[in-house]
Amino acid sequence: MLPKKVLAVDDSKLMLRMYEVMLRGTPVLLAENGQQALELLAHHPDVDLVLLDINMPVMSGLDFLAALGQQGKLPGLPVIVVSTDGEEEQIQRGLACGAVAYLTKPFDAERLRAAIAALPEGE
Amino acid sequence: MAGGESSKELVEELKGTLEKARELVRELEAKLARAGVAVTSAGEGDLAQRLARTEADVKELATQLAASERQISRLMNLYVATYQLHATLTPEEVLQTIAEIAVNLLGADAFALILRRDGGTGFEVALAQGLASGPYAVFSGPEYQGGDPAVDATLADGMLRLAPIPNSPAVAVVPLKVQGEIVGVLVVLKLLPHKPALRPEDRELLDLLSAHAASALFAARIFASKDRRLRTLESLIKLARGE
Repeated sequence: MLPKKVLAVDDSKLMLRMYEVMLRGTPVLLAENGQQALELLAHHPDVDLVLLDINMPVMSGLDFLAALGQQGKLPGLPVIVVSTDGEEEQIQRGLACGAVAYLTKPFDAERLRAAIAALPEGE
Repeated sequence: MAGGESSKELVEELKGTLEKARELVRELEAKLARAGVAVTSAGEGDLAQRLARTEADVKELATQLAASERQISRLMNLYVATYQLHATLTPEEVLQTIAEIAVNLLGADAFALILRRDGGTGFEVALAQGLASGPYAVFSGPEYQGGDPAVDATLADGMLRLAPIPNSPAVAVVPLKVQGEIVGVLVVLKLLPHKPALRPEDRELLDLLSAHAASALFAARIFASKDRRLRTLESLIKLARGE
C-alpha cells in the first residue's frame, strides 16, 4: 500500500517528528491524543492510514479505535498500532479493536515501510 | 519513503532488463540454429561472462542499496533526536525529550538521569522512570549519593559502559559531557521486554546522548534562569516607575 495522507497519533513530540521524517514525501497530519485525532479525521476524510500510539493522555489509542468503530470507519480505514508495549495480550487487544497491524517501539524506517507495504491495496 | 521505493523499483527494473536480455539471447540462438548458423563457443562464452558480470553487479547494487537504507534509517533517528533535544529552551521539555529518546528510540524500560549539582557538590537524580520495581534503590531518591560501581566509575572517568557490567544492574551507563567535562550520566537499567539487548546501532544514539543531552539541558537551564532574572528586573523597573 502507498498511503496518500497519513494521520500520526502519539503524545511524544519526538515520535511525531520521526513520522514526518520517515514518511517524507507523504502528507502527515499530527495529533497528540485520540481526541485530537478524531477531530482531524473529521476535517480530513482523505486520510488513508493511521499510525496510533496506545498510551496517551485525554484519549487512549484503544478508546480512539472504539470511537472509530462506532463511527463505522473500521475496517475501511487501516490503523497500525505503534506501541512500546509488546506483550501478546496487548497486541491481540489492539488487533481485536480494529487495528490491522501492530508495530513495537523502538522501530526504524525500514520496519515502518515494511508494515505499510504489507497492507493490502485498497485497505 | 519515496527514495526507498525508487531504489527498489530501480533494482527490479534492472532485474527485468537482465531477464529480457536472457530471452533475447535465447531467441537469437534459436533463430541462428534454425538458419543453420552455428554460434561459436567463444561468442557464447563471452556473452555468458558478460551476463554473469552484469548479474553480479545488480546483486552488489542491491546489497549496497539495502546497506544505504539501513544507514539512512539510523541517520533519521539521530537527526530527529538531535533536532528535538535542541528544539526547546525549557528544561522540563528537554528532560521530556531525553526520556522519549530513551524509551522510544533505545527501548529503555527503566532509566535514571544523574546530574552534578550547580557548584559541583553532589548529584541530583534529574529524571527517573520505571524504577518502582527492581534493585534500583540508589537511583530512586532525589539525590544520587553513590553506590553503583559502574555509575561511580563513569562519573570519574567519563567512559561509556555497556552490559554485562560487574556488580551493577545497568544495561548502559552513558557519560554526559558539556565541553568535555563530565556533568552526569544516563543510566539505562532495564530494556523493554521485547528488546533483549542493545544493538550495535544503538551505540550511535548513546554517543549522541553523551554529547548533546547535557548541553541541551544546561543551555535550557541557563536560559530559564536568565529569563527569570530578566522578568524580576522588569517588574522592579515597573514598580519604580509606578506603573
